[in-house]
Amino acid sequence: MIAIEHLTKRYRKTVAVDDLDLVVQPGVVTGFLGPNGSGKSTTMRVIMGLDRPSRGRATVNGRPYHDLRDPLREVGALLEAKAVHPGRSARNHLRALAASNKIPFSRVDEVLEFVGLASVATKRVGDFSLGMGQRLGIAAALLGDPGVLLFDEPVNGLDPEGIRWIRDLFRSLAAEGRTVFVSSHLMSEMAVTADQIIVIGKGHLITQGSVSDLTAAAKGAVVVRGNDRERLERALRAAGATVEVVNDDALRVGELSAEAVGQLAFDEGVVLFELTPERASLEEVYMALTAGVVEYGSGSS
Amino acid sequence: MSAHPTLASVIRSEWLKFRSVRSSIMGVAITFVLTIGIGALITASIRTHWTAHPEAHIGFDPVTTSLGGTLFAQFAVGVIGALFVTAEYSSGSIRSTLAATPRRVEVVLAKLAVLVGSLLVVSEVAVFVTFLMGQAIYSGVVPTASLSTPTVLRAVLFGGLYLTLLGTIGMALGWLLRQSAACISVFTSLILVLPIVTFLLPSSWQNTIGRFEPSTLGQSMESVSPPAHAFSAGASLLVLALYATVLMAAAATALTRRDA
Ligand SMILES: Nc1ncnc2c1ncn2[C@@H]1O[C@H](COP(=O)(O)OP(=O)(O)OP(=O)(O)O)[C@@H](O)[C@H]1O
Ligand SMILES: [Mg+2]
Repeated sequence: MIAIEHLTKRYRKTVAVDDLDLVVQPGVVTGFLGPNGSGKSTTMRVIMGLDRPSRGRATVNGRPYHDLRDPLREVGALLEAKAVHPGRSARNHLRALAASNKIPFSRVDEVLEFVGLASVATKRVGDFSLGMGQRLGIAAALLGDPGVLLFDEPVNGLDPEGIRWIRDLFRSLAAEGRTVFVSSHLMSEMAVTADQIIVIGKGHLITQGSVSDLTAAAKGAVVVRGNDRERLERALRAAGATVEVVNDDALRVGELSAEAVGQLAFDEGVVLFELTPERASLEEVYMALTAGVVEYGSGSS
Repeated sequence: MSAHPTLASVIRSEWLKFRSVRSSIMGVAITFVLTIGIGALITASIRTHWTAHPEAHIGFDPVTTSLGGTLFAQFAVGVIGALFVTAEYSSGSIRSTLAATPRRVEVVLAKLAVLVGSLLVVSEVAVFVTFLMGQAIYSGVVPTASLSTPTVLRAVLFGGLYLTLLGTIGMALGWLLRQSAACISVFTSLILVLPIVTFLLPSSWQNTIGRFEPSTLGQSMESVSPPAHAFSAGASLLVLALYATVLMAAAATALTRRDA
Protein backbone atom coordinates (compact mmCIF):
# COMPACT_ATOMS: atom_id res chain seq x y z
CA MET A 1 0.00 0.00 0.00
CA ILE A 2 1.13 3.52 -0.78
CA ALA A 3 -0.14 6.46 1.24
CA ILE A 4 0.41 10.12 0.51
CA GLU A 5 -0.57 12.70 3.09
CA HIS A 6 -0.73 16.44 2.46
CA LEU A 7 2.14 16.16 0.04
CA THR A 8 3.50 19.41 -1.35
CA LYS A 9 6.59 19.56 -3.54
CA ARG A 10 8.00 22.89 -4.65
CA TYR A 11 10.93 23.40 -7.03
CA ARG A 12 12.10 26.99 -6.67
CA LYS A 13 9.10 28.79 -8.20
CA THR A 14 7.12 25.79 -9.49
CA VAL A 15 4.66 24.02 -7.23
CA ALA A 16 4.73 20.54 -8.76
CA VAL A 17 2.48 18.83 -6.19
CA ASP A 18 0.09 20.77 -4.02
CA ASP A 19 -1.35 19.29 -0.81
CA LEU A 20 -2.07 15.90 -2.36
CA ASP A 21 -3.72 13.08 -0.42
CA LEU A 22 -3.86 9.59 -1.93
CA VAL A 23 -4.06 5.97 -0.96
CA VAL A 24 -3.08 3.30 -3.48
CA GLN A 25 -4.52 -0.06 -2.48
CA PRO A 26 -3.08 -3.52 -3.06
CA GLY A 27 -4.79 -6.07 -5.29
CA VAL A 28 -5.85 -3.66 -8.02
CA VAL A 29 -4.20 -1.72 -10.83
CA THR A 30 -4.38 1.98 -10.00
CA GLY A 31 -4.07 4.37 -12.92
CA PHE A 32 -2.49 7.75 -12.19
CA LEU A 33 -3.63 10.28 -14.75
CA GLY A 34 -3.01 13.91 -15.44
CA PRO A 35 -1.97 16.23 -18.25
CA ASN A 36 1.72 16.98 -18.92
CA GLY A 37 3.36 18.67 -15.98
CA SER A 38 0.60 17.82 -13.52
CA GLY A 39 3.00 16.26 -11.02
CA LYS A 40 2.75 12.50 -11.67
CA SER A 41 6.47 11.85 -11.99
CA THR A 42 7.22 14.15 -9.07
CA THR A 43 4.78 12.25 -6.85
CA MET A 44 6.43 8.97 -7.84
CA ARG A 45 9.92 10.31 -7.14
CA VAL A 46 8.80 11.44 -3.69
CA ILE A 47 7.33 7.98 -2.97
CA MET A 48 10.68 6.45 -3.98
CA GLY A 49 12.56 8.68 -1.56
CA LEU A 50 14.37 10.40 -4.43
CA ASP A 51 12.91 13.87 -4.02
CA ARG A 52 12.33 15.31 -0.59
CA PRO A 53 8.81 16.62 0.05
CA SER A 54 8.46 20.33 0.86
CA ARG A 55 5.56 19.41 3.14
CA GLY A 56 3.63 16.27 4.03
CA ARG A 57 4.87 12.75 3.48
CA ALA A 58 4.66 9.57 1.45
CA THR A 59 4.85 6.08 2.93
CA VAL A 60 5.10 2.59 1.52
CA ASN A 61 3.63 -0.16 3.68
CA GLY A 62 3.36 2.40 6.44
CA ARG A 63 6.97 3.56 6.40
CA PRO A 64 8.85 6.32 4.58
CA TYR A 65 10.98 4.88 1.78
CA HIS A 66 14.21 5.68 3.64
CA ASP A 67 13.20 3.39 6.48
CA LEU A 68 12.55 0.32 4.31
CA ARG A 69 14.87 -2.45 5.42
CA ASP A 70 14.94 -4.22 2.13
CA PRO A 71 14.05 -1.64 -0.53
CA LEU A 72 14.12 -3.72 -3.73
CA ARG A 73 12.19 -6.57 -2.12
CA GLU A 74 9.46 -4.18 -1.01
CA VAL A 75 9.19 -1.69 -3.87
CA GLY A 76 10.03 -1.93 -7.56
CA ALA A 77 9.87 1.03 -9.89
CA LEU A 78 10.24 1.96 -13.53
CA LEU A 79 10.69 5.72 -13.49
CA GLU A 80 12.47 6.56 -16.72
CA ALA A 81 13.09 4.55 -19.84
CA LYS A 82 16.71 3.52 -20.41
CA ALA A 83 18.10 5.16 -17.28
CA VAL A 84 21.12 2.86 -17.55
CA HIS A 85 24.77 3.51 -18.41
CA PRO A 86 24.77 3.00 -22.22
CA GLY A 87 28.05 1.08 -22.11
CA ARG A 88 26.88 -1.52 -19.62
CA SER A 89 25.15 -4.76 -20.55
CA ALA A 90 21.60 -5.45 -19.41
CA ARG A 91 22.80 -8.32 -17.26
CA ASN A 92 25.52 -6.29 -15.54
CA HIS A 93 23.09 -3.46 -14.87
CA LEU A 94 20.69 -5.83 -13.14
CA ARG A 95 23.50 -7.68 -11.37
CA ALA A 96 24.76 -4.44 -9.85
CA LEU A 97 21.26 -3.69 -8.53
CA ALA A 98 20.85 -7.26 -7.30
CA ALA A 99 24.23 -7.24 -5.54
CA SER A 100 23.39 -4.12 -3.54
CA ASN A 101 20.28 -5.79 -2.09
CA LYS A 102 21.76 -9.30 -1.83
CA ILE A 103 19.45 -10.72 -4.47
CA PRO A 104 20.95 -13.86 -6.05
CA PHE A 105 22.23 -13.48 -9.64
CA SER A 106 20.02 -16.38 -10.72
CA ARG A 107 17.09 -13.99 -10.27
CA VAL A 108 18.67 -11.62 -12.81
CA ASP A 109 18.52 -14.27 -15.53
CA GLU A 110 14.98 -15.13 -14.48
CA VAL A 111 13.67 -11.59 -14.95
CA LEU A 112 15.61 -11.13 -18.19
CA GLU A 113 13.96 -14.28 -19.49
CA PHE A 114 10.58 -13.07 -18.26
CA VAL A 115 10.73 -9.72 -20.08
CA GLY A 116 12.08 -11.33 -23.24
CA LEU A 117 15.61 -9.89 -23.11
CA ALA A 118 17.51 -13.13 -22.38
CA SER A 119 18.99 -13.25 -25.89
CA VAL A 120 20.42 -9.72 -25.60
CA ALA A 121 21.48 -9.95 -21.94
CA THR A 122 25.13 -9.27 -22.74
CA LYS A 123 24.53 -6.50 -25.29
CA ARG A 124 25.28 -2.85 -24.50
CA VAL A 125 22.13 -1.08 -23.32
CA GLY A 126 23.11 1.88 -25.50
CA ASP A 127 22.18 -0.22 -28.55
CA PHE A 128 18.73 -1.08 -27.17
CA SER A 129 15.55 0.31 -28.75
CA LEU A 130 13.22 2.39 -26.58
CA GLY A 131 10.94 -0.61 -26.13
CA MET A 132 13.82 -2.87 -25.09
CA GLY A 133 14.94 -0.19 -22.62
CA GLN A 134 11.40 -0.15 -21.23
CA ARG A 135 11.47 -3.94 -20.83
CA LEU A 136 14.80 -3.70 -19.01
CA GLY A 137 13.26 -1.13 -16.66
CA ILE A 138 10.39 -3.54 -15.98
CA ALA A 139 12.90 -6.33 -15.31
CA ALA A 140 14.64 -4.06 -12.79
CA ALA A 141 11.32 -3.29 -11.09
CA LEU A 142 10.51 -7.01 -10.77
CA LEU A 143 14.02 -7.96 -9.60
CA GLY A 144 13.28 -8.18 -5.88
CA ASP A 145 9.80 -9.68 -6.42
CA PRO A 146 8.32 -6.68 -4.55
CA GLY A 147 4.76 -6.26 -3.27
CA VAL A 148 4.56 -2.62 -4.39
CA LEU A 149 5.24 -1.58 -7.98
CA LEU A 150 5.37 1.86 -9.59
CA PHE A 151 5.51 2.45 -13.32
CA ASP A 152 5.87 5.93 -14.83
CA GLU A 153 4.52 5.98 -18.39
CA PRO A 154 5.43 2.33 -18.99
CA VAL A 155 3.87 1.94 -22.44
CA ASN A 156 6.05 4.63 -24.06
CA GLY A 157 7.91 3.05 -26.94
CA LEU A 158 6.23 -0.34 -26.73
CA ASP A 159 4.71 -1.96 -29.81
CA PRO A 160 1.09 -3.23 -29.73
CA GLU A 161 2.24 -6.70 -28.70
CA GLY A 162 4.30 -5.13 -25.91
CA ILE A 163 1.40 -2.98 -24.76
CA ARG A 164 -0.85 -6.01 -24.52
CA TRP A 165 1.89 -7.91 -22.67
CA ILE A 166 2.39 -5.16 -20.12
CA ARG A 167 -1.36 -4.78 -19.59
CA ASP A 168 -1.62 -8.50 -18.81
CA LEU A 169 1.44 -8.22 -16.58
CA PHE A 170 -0.15 -5.42 -14.50
CA ARG A 171 -3.36 -7.40 -14.12
CA SER A 172 -1.58 -10.56 -13.02
CA LEU A 173 0.64 -8.62 -10.58
CA ALA A 174 -2.47 -7.06 -9.05
CA ALA A 175 -4.24 -10.44 -8.99
CA GLU A 176 -1.34 -11.73 -6.88
CA GLY A 177 -2.27 -9.10 -4.31
CA ARG A 178 0.41 -6.56 -5.16
CA THR A 179 -0.01 -2.78 -5.26
CA VAL A 180 0.34 -1.63 -8.88
CA PHE A 181 0.54 2.12 -9.50
CA VAL A 182 0.78 3.14 -13.15
CA SER A 183 0.96 6.67 -14.52
CA SER A 184 -0.19 7.72 -17.95
CA HIS A 185 -1.54 10.80 -19.63
CA LEU A 186 -3.85 8.71 -21.81
CA MET A 187 -7.21 7.86 -20.32
CA SER A 188 -7.92 5.46 -23.20
CA GLU A 189 -4.93 3.38 -22.07
CA MET A 190 -5.92 3.41 -18.42
CA ALA A 191 -9.57 2.65 -19.19
CA VAL A 192 -8.57 -0.80 -20.38
CA THR A 193 -5.76 -1.43 -17.88
CA ALA A 194 -6.72 0.05 -14.53
CA ASP A 195 -9.40 -0.80 -11.98
CA GLN A 196 -9.00 2.37 -9.98
CA ILE A 197 -8.25 5.78 -11.43
CA ILE A 198 -6.70 8.81 -9.78
CA VAL A 199 -6.75 12.03 -11.78
CA ILE A 200 -4.56 15.01 -10.85
CA GLY A 201 -4.11 18.40 -12.44
CA LYS A 202 -1.58 21.09 -11.50
CA GLY A 203 -0.57 19.00 -8.52
CA HIS A 204 -4.11 18.80 -7.10
CA LEU A 205 -6.30 15.75 -6.79
CA ILE A 206 -9.19 16.13 -9.25
CA THR A 207 -11.03 12.88 -8.76
CA GLN A 208 -10.53 9.28 -7.85
CA GLY A 209 -12.67 6.17 -8.12
CA SER A 210 -13.26 3.00 -10.06
CA VAL A 211 -13.51 3.14 -13.83
CA SER A 212 -17.25 2.43 -13.69
CA ASP A 213 -17.83 5.11 -11.02
CA LEU A 214 -16.16 7.66 -13.22
CA THR A 215 -18.18 6.85 -16.32
CA ALA A 216 -21.39 6.74 -14.31
CA ALA A 217 -20.65 10.12 -12.83
CA ALA A 218 -20.27 11.54 -16.29
CA LYS A 219 -23.32 13.55 -17.23
CA GLY A 220 -24.73 12.14 -20.43
CA ALA A 221 -27.15 13.96 -22.69
CA VAL A 222 -30.24 12.82 -24.59
CA VAL A 223 -30.85 13.78 -28.21
CA VAL A 224 -34.53 13.97 -29.01
CA ARG A 225 -36.46 14.77 -32.22
CA GLY A 226 -40.24 14.99 -32.53
CA ASN A 227 -43.08 16.51 -34.53
CA ASP A 228 -43.37 19.68 -32.39
CA ARG A 229 -39.96 20.98 -31.39
CA GLU A 230 -41.15 24.20 -29.69
CA ARG A 231 -43.77 22.52 -27.55
CA LEU A 232 -41.28 19.87 -26.44
CA GLU A 233 -38.59 22.46 -25.71
CA ARG A 234 -40.97 24.49 -23.50
CA ALA A 235 -41.98 21.40 -21.56
CA LEU A 236 -38.38 20.28 -21.06
CA ARG A 237 -37.26 23.67 -19.81
CA ALA A 238 -40.22 23.75 -17.44
CA ALA A 239 -39.00 20.39 -16.10
CA GLY A 240 -35.59 21.95 -15.36
CA ALA A 241 -33.59 20.46 -18.24
CA THR A 242 -30.95 22.28 -20.22
CA VAL A 243 -31.87 22.31 -23.87
CA GLU A 244 -29.86 23.06 -26.96
CA VAL A 245 -31.07 22.96 -30.56
CA VAL A 246 -29.05 20.75 -32.87
CA ASN A 247 -29.47 20.20 -36.63
CA ASP A 248 -32.55 22.55 -36.72
CA ASP A 249 -35.08 19.98 -35.63
CA ALA A 250 -33.39 18.03 -32.83
CA LEU A 251 -32.77 18.95 -29.20
CA ARG A 252 -29.88 17.95 -26.96
CA VAL A 253 -31.23 17.64 -23.44
CA GLY A 254 -29.11 17.70 -20.32
CA GLU A 255 -30.04 16.92 -16.70
CA LEU A 256 -32.83 14.49 -17.63
CA SER A 257 -32.71 10.76 -18.32
CA ALA A 258 -33.97 9.29 -21.62
CA GLU A 259 -36.87 7.75 -19.72
CA ALA A 260 -37.90 11.14 -18.30
CA VAL A 261 -37.66 12.82 -21.70
CA GLY A 262 -39.79 10.06 -23.33
CA GLN A 263 -42.41 10.32 -20.60
CA LEU A 264 -42.55 14.10 -20.93
CA ALA A 265 -43.03 13.87 -24.70
CA PHE A 266 -45.83 11.35 -24.23
CA ASP A 267 -47.50 13.61 -21.65
CA GLU A 268 -47.27 16.55 -24.06
CA GLY A 269 -48.61 14.49 -26.93
CA VAL A 270 -45.46 14.97 -29.02
CA VAL A 271 -44.68 12.16 -31.42
CA LEU A 272 -41.02 11.19 -31.16
CA PHE A 273 -38.91 10.21 -34.17
CA GLU A 274 -35.68 9.81 -32.21
CA LEU A 275 -34.61 9.39 -28.58
CA THR A 276 -30.88 8.76 -28.22
CA PRO A 277 -28.99 8.69 -24.91
CA GLU A 278 -25.43 9.91 -25.36
CA ARG A 279 -23.02 8.35 -22.90
CA ALA A 280 -19.76 10.21 -22.44
CA SER A 281 -16.67 8.08 -22.97
CA LEU A 282 -14.07 7.89 -20.22
CA GLU A 283 -11.81 9.94 -22.48
CA GLU A 284 -14.42 12.72 -22.64
CA VAL A 285 -14.90 12.57 -18.89
CA TYR A 286 -11.19 12.98 -18.47
CA MET A 287 -10.97 15.85 -20.93
CA ALA A 288 -13.80 17.62 -19.14
CA LEU A 289 -12.22 17.04 -15.74
CA THR A 290 -8.84 18.34 -16.71
CA ALA A 291 -9.97 21.09 -19.08
CA GLY A 292 -9.36 23.75 -16.43
CA VAL A 293 -5.96 22.52 -15.36
CA VAL A 294 -4.04 21.83 -18.54
CA GLU A 295 -0.69 23.51 -18.07
CA TYR A 296 0.74 23.20 -21.54
CA GLY A 297 -2.47 23.23 -23.65
CA SER A 298 -2.33 23.62 -27.41
CA GLY A 299 -4.04 27.02 -27.32
CA SER A 300 -6.83 26.34 -29.81
CA SER A 301 -9.11 24.60 -27.30
CA MET B 1 22.38 -14.00 6.98
CA SER B 2 20.30 -10.86 7.01
CA ALA B 3 19.10 -9.84 3.60
CA HIS B 4 19.05 -6.08 3.73
CA PRO B 5 21.70 -3.96 1.97
CA THR B 6 24.94 -3.49 3.90
CA LEU B 7 28.01 -1.45 3.12
CA ALA B 8 29.70 -4.66 1.92
CA SER B 9 26.89 -5.49 -0.51
CA VAL B 10 26.81 -1.93 -1.83
CA ILE B 11 30.59 -2.08 -2.36
CA ARG B 12 30.11 -5.31 -4.33
CA SER B 13 27.49 -3.55 -6.45
CA GLU B 14 29.73 -0.55 -7.12
CA TRP B 15 32.71 -2.77 -7.94
CA LEU B 16 30.58 -4.56 -10.53
CA LYS B 17 29.59 -1.20 -12.01
CA PHE B 18 33.16 0.08 -12.04
CA ARG B 19 34.59 -2.83 -13.96
CA SER B 20 31.65 -3.27 -16.35
CA VAL B 21 32.13 -0.06 -18.34
CA ARG B 22 34.76 0.75 -20.88
CA SER B 23 35.53 4.21 -19.48
CA SER B 24 37.04 2.77 -16.27
CA ILE B 25 39.05 0.14 -18.13
CA MET B 26 40.27 2.75 -20.63
CA GLY B 27 41.06 5.17 -17.81
CA VAL B 28 43.18 2.58 -16.04
CA ALA B 29 44.99 1.72 -19.28
CA ILE B 30 45.64 5.40 -19.99
CA THR B 31 46.99 5.89 -16.46
CA PHE B 32 49.52 3.12 -17.08
CA VAL B 33 50.46 4.35 -20.53
CA LEU B 34 50.95 7.96 -19.42
CA THR B 35 52.87 7.18 -16.24
CA ILE B 36 55.17 4.60 -17.77
CA GLY B 37 55.37 5.90 -21.34
CA ILE B 38 56.13 9.50 -20.44
CA GLY B 39 58.47 8.32 -17.68
CA ALA B 40 60.39 6.39 -20.34
CA LEU B 41 60.50 9.41 -22.68
CA ILE B 42 61.74 11.77 -19.96
CA THR B 43 64.44 9.43 -18.62
CA ALA B 44 65.65 8.43 -22.10
CA SER B 45 65.91 12.08 -23.13
CA ILE B 46 67.85 12.96 -19.95
CA ARG B 47 70.24 10.09 -20.61
CA THR B 48 70.80 11.24 -24.21
CA HIS B 49 71.57 14.83 -23.21
CA TRP B 50 73.60 13.96 -20.13
CA THR B 51 76.92 15.83 -20.06
CA ALA B 52 80.01 15.30 -17.98
CA HIS B 53 79.83 18.78 -16.38
CA PRO B 54 78.83 18.20 -12.76
CA GLU B 55 77.62 21.84 -12.30
CA ALA B 56 74.91 21.22 -14.92
CA HIS B 57 73.29 18.64 -12.67
CA ILE B 58 72.89 20.44 -9.37
CA GLY B 59 69.61 19.40 -7.80
CA PHE B 60 69.11 16.51 -10.22
CA ASP B 61 66.73 13.95 -8.76
CA PRO B 62 66.60 10.54 -10.48
CA VAL B 63 63.36 9.73 -8.60
CA THR B 64 61.28 12.81 -9.50
CA THR B 65 62.39 12.71 -13.11
CA SER B 66 61.48 9.04 -13.51
CA LEU B 67 58.01 9.77 -12.02
CA GLY B 68 57.42 12.67 -14.45
CA GLY B 69 54.62 10.75 -16.15
CA THR B 70 52.38 11.28 -13.11
CA LEU B 71 52.06 14.94 -14.18
CA PHE B 72 49.98 13.64 -17.10
CA ALA B 73 48.42 10.60 -15.44
CA GLN B 74 46.88 12.85 -12.76
CA PHE B 75 44.31 14.00 -15.35
CA ALA B 76 43.46 10.40 -16.23
CA VAL B 77 42.78 9.45 -12.60
CA GLY B 78 40.77 12.66 -12.06
CA VAL B 79 38.58 11.73 -15.02
CA ILE B 80 38.18 8.13 -13.77
CA GLY B 81 36.95 9.43 -10.40
CA ALA B 82 34.65 12.05 -11.87
CA LEU B 83 33.11 9.78 -14.53
CA PHE B 84 32.39 7.02 -12.02
CA VAL B 85 29.85 9.47 -10.54
CA THR B 86 28.80 11.74 -13.42
CA ALA B 87 27.98 8.79 -15.72
CA GLU B 88 25.22 7.91 -13.24
CA TYR B 89 23.77 11.39 -13.61
CA SER B 90 24.06 11.63 -17.39
CA SER B 91 22.37 8.26 -17.88
CA GLY B 92 19.83 8.74 -15.08
CA SER B 93 20.84 5.48 -13.38
CA ILE B 94 21.55 7.43 -10.17
CA ARG B 95 17.83 7.09 -9.42
CA SER B 96 17.90 3.28 -9.52
CA THR B 97 21.10 3.36 -7.46
CA LEU B 98 19.57 5.55 -4.76
CA ALA B 99 16.28 3.64 -4.80
CA ALA B 100 18.22 0.41 -4.21
CA THR B 101 20.31 2.04 -1.45
CA PRO B 102 18.24 4.76 0.18
CA ARG B 103 20.94 5.44 2.79
CA ARG B 104 22.89 7.63 0.44
CA VAL B 105 26.03 7.89 2.55
CA GLU B 106 26.51 4.18 1.89
CA VAL B 107 26.57 4.86 -1.85
CA VAL B 108 29.19 7.59 -1.35
CA LEU B 109 31.33 5.32 0.84
CA ALA B 110 31.00 2.30 -1.45
CA LYS B 111 31.98 4.24 -4.58
CA LEU B 112 34.88 5.79 -2.66
CA ALA B 113 36.08 2.39 -1.44
CA VAL B 114 35.97 0.93 -4.95
CA LEU B 115 37.77 3.92 -6.45
CA VAL B 116 40.47 4.16 -3.79
CA GLY B 117 41.02 0.40 -3.84
CA SER B 118 41.38 0.27 -7.62
CA LEU B 119 43.45 3.43 -7.98
CA LEU B 120 45.79 2.46 -5.18
CA VAL B 121 46.69 -0.78 -6.94
CA VAL B 122 46.89 0.81 -10.39
CA SER B 123 48.89 3.88 -9.32
CA GLU B 124 51.36 2.03 -7.10
CA VAL B 125 52.05 -0.56 -9.79
CA ALA B 126 52.47 2.23 -12.36
CA VAL B 127 54.87 4.33 -10.26
CA PHE B 128 57.03 1.38 -9.19
CA VAL B 129 57.25 0.13 -12.76
CA THR B 130 58.14 3.56 -14.13
CA PHE B 131 60.68 4.13 -11.34
CA LEU B 132 62.45 0.82 -11.96
CA MET B 133 62.33 1.32 -15.70
CA GLY B 134 63.71 4.86 -15.36
CA GLN B 135 66.61 3.67 -13.23
CA ALA B 136 67.35 0.92 -15.76
CA ILE B 137 67.44 3.55 -18.53
CA TYR B 138 69.72 5.81 -16.46
CA SER B 139 72.09 3.09 -15.36
CA GLY B 140 75.67 3.42 -16.51
CA VAL B 141 75.27 7.06 -17.59
CA VAL B 142 73.09 9.00 -15.17
CA PRO B 143 73.23 8.59 -11.36
CA THR B 144 70.46 6.29 -10.18
CA ALA B 145 68.46 5.85 -6.98
CA SER B 146 67.61 2.64 -5.16
CA LEU B 147 64.46 1.58 -3.32
CA SER B 148 66.65 0.44 -0.44
CA THR B 149 67.08 4.14 0.44
CA PRO B 150 64.08 4.97 2.70
CA THR B 151 63.49 8.47 1.23
CA VAL B 152 63.50 7.02 -2.30
CA LEU B 153 61.03 4.31 -1.36
CA ARG B 154 58.85 6.99 0.28
CA ALA B 155 58.96 9.24 -2.80
CA VAL B 156 57.83 6.42 -5.11
CA LEU B 157 55.17 5.20 -2.70
CA PHE B 158 53.82 8.75 -2.28
CA GLY B 159 53.71 9.10 -6.07
CA GLY B 160 51.03 6.40 -6.10
CA LEU B 161 49.22 8.03 -3.18
CA TYR B 162 49.27 11.37 -5.01
CA LEU B 163 47.47 9.84 -8.00
CA THR B 164 44.95 8.04 -5.78
CA LEU B 165 44.11 11.23 -3.87
CA LEU B 166 43.68 13.20 -7.09
CA GLY B 167 41.27 10.52 -8.32
CA THR B 168 39.34 10.97 -5.08
CA ILE B 169 39.20 14.73 -5.61
CA GLY B 170 37.85 14.05 -9.12
CA MET B 171 35.15 11.84 -7.59
CA ALA B 172 34.17 14.49 -5.03
CA LEU B 173 33.84 17.04 -7.83
CA GLY B 174 31.66 14.51 -9.66
CA TRP B 175 29.21 14.37 -6.74
CA LEU B 176 29.23 18.13 -6.28
CA LEU B 177 28.92 19.18 -9.93
CA ARG B 178 27.13 16.12 -11.42
CA GLN B 179 28.36 16.94 -14.95
CA SER B 180 31.44 15.51 -16.63
CA ALA B 181 32.37 18.67 -18.52
CA ALA B 182 32.09 20.90 -15.45
CA CYS B 183 34.20 18.46 -13.41
CA ILE B 184 36.94 18.25 -15.97
CA SER B 185 37.19 22.05 -16.29
CA VAL B 186 37.31 22.58 -12.53
CA PHE B 187 39.80 19.76 -12.05
CA THR B 188 42.07 21.05 -14.82
CA SER B 189 41.87 24.57 -13.40
CA LEU B 190 42.91 23.35 -9.96
CA ILE B 191 45.99 21.68 -11.37
CA LEU B 192 47.04 23.86 -14.29
CA VAL B 193 45.48 27.30 -13.95
CA LEU B 194 46.03 27.80 -10.22
CA PRO B 195 49.87 27.77 -10.53
CA ILE B 196 49.67 30.31 -13.36
CA VAL B 197 47.48 32.64 -11.30
CA THR B 198 49.86 32.28 -8.35
CA PHE B 199 52.78 33.01 -10.61
CA LEU B 200 51.29 36.45 -11.33
CA LEU B 201 51.24 37.34 -7.62
CA PRO B 202 54.12 39.07 -5.74
CA SER B 203 56.86 36.55 -4.95
CA SER B 204 56.31 36.51 -1.17
CA TRP B 205 52.69 35.50 -1.81
CA GLN B 206 53.76 32.99 -4.42
CA ASN B 207 55.71 31.05 -1.84
CA THR B 208 53.00 31.17 0.82
CA ILE B 209 50.14 30.25 -1.48
CA GLY B 210 52.04 28.06 -3.90
CA ARG B 211 52.81 25.35 -1.35
CA PHE B 212 49.07 24.68 -0.91
CA GLU B 213 48.51 23.93 -4.60
CA PRO B 214 47.91 20.28 -5.50
CA SER B 215 50.73 20.30 -8.07
CA THR B 216 53.27 21.64 -5.55
CA LEU B 217 52.10 19.12 -2.97
CA GLY B 218 52.65 16.42 -5.57
CA GLN B 219 56.16 17.63 -6.40
CA SER B 220 57.07 17.54 -2.74
CA MET B 221 55.58 14.08 -2.26
CA GLU B 222 57.45 12.63 -5.26
CA SER B 223 60.92 14.00 -4.58
CA VAL B 224 63.64 12.85 -2.22
CA SER B 225 64.04 16.33 -0.71
CA PRO B 226 61.19 18.84 -1.06
CA PRO B 227 61.53 21.82 -3.43
CA ALA B 228 62.20 25.28 -1.92
CA HIS B 229 59.25 26.88 -0.09
CA ALA B 230 57.24 23.64 -0.23
CA PHE B 231 55.86 21.57 2.66
CA SER B 232 57.74 18.40 3.61
CA ALA B 233 56.58 15.25 1.84
CA GLY B 234 54.66 14.02 4.89
CA ALA B 235 52.96 17.38 5.46
CA SER B 236 52.11 17.56 1.76
CA LEU B 237 50.44 14.16 1.92
CA LEU B 238 48.41 15.30 4.93
CA VAL B 239 47.31 18.55 3.25
CA LEU B 240 46.26 16.74 0.07
CA ALA B 241 44.44 14.06 2.08
CA LEU B 242 42.69 16.85 3.98
CA TYR B 243 41.50 18.42 0.69
CA ALA B 244 40.15 15.07 -0.47
CA THR B 245 38.41 14.44 2.87
CA VAL B 246 36.80 17.87 3.04
CA LEU B 247 35.58 17.61 -0.57
CA MET B 248 34.21 14.09 -0.02
CA ALA B 249 32.41 15.24 3.13
CA ALA B 250 30.90 18.13 1.16
CA ALA B 251 29.92 15.64 -1.54
CA ALA B 252 28.17 13.33 0.95
CA THR B 253 26.34 16.28 2.50
CA ALA B 254 25.22 17.54 -0.90
CA LEU B 255 23.99 14.12 -1.97
CA THR B 256 21.95 13.55 1.19
CA ARG B 257 20.40 17.01 1.01
CA ARG B 258 19.61 17.33 -2.68
CA ASP B 259 16.84 15.79 -4.77
CA ALA B 260 18.11 12.97 -6.96
N1 LIG C 1 13.62 18.66 -10.83
C1 LIG C 1 12.76 19.64 -11.14
N2 LIG C 1 13.13 20.93 -11.05
C2 LIG C 1 12.29 21.93 -11.34
N3 LIG C 1 11.01 21.75 -11.73
C3 LIG C 1 10.56 20.49 -11.84
C4 LIG C 1 11.41 19.37 -11.56
N4 LIG C 1 10.69 18.24 -11.75
C5 LIG C 1 9.47 18.63 -12.14
N5 LIG C 1 9.38 19.97 -12.19
C6 LIG C 1 8.18 20.76 -12.55
O1 LIG C 1 7.11 20.26 -11.79
C7 LIG C 1 5.93 20.16 -12.57
C8 LIG C 1 5.42 18.72 -12.55
O2 LIG C 1 6.29 17.90 -13.31
P1 LIG C 1 6.14 16.33 -13.43
O3 LIG C 1 7.29 15.85 -14.23
O4 LIG C 1 5.94 15.75 -12.09
O5 LIG C 1 4.80 16.18 -14.27
P2 LIG C 1 4.18 14.89 -14.99
O6 LIG C 1 2.77 14.83 -14.53
O7 LIG C 1 5.02 13.72 -14.76
O8 LIG C 1 4.21 15.30 -16.52
P3 LIG C 1 4.39 14.40 -17.84
O9 LIG C 1 3.04 13.83 -18.18
O10 LIG C 1 4.81 15.39 -18.87
O11 LIG C 1 5.42 13.35 -17.56
C9 LIG C 1 6.28 20.67 -13.94
O12 LIG C 1 5.89 22.02 -14.02
C10 LIG C 1 7.78 20.56 -14.00
O13 LIG C 1 8.31 21.54 -14.83
MG1 LIG D 1 6.16 12.44 -16.04
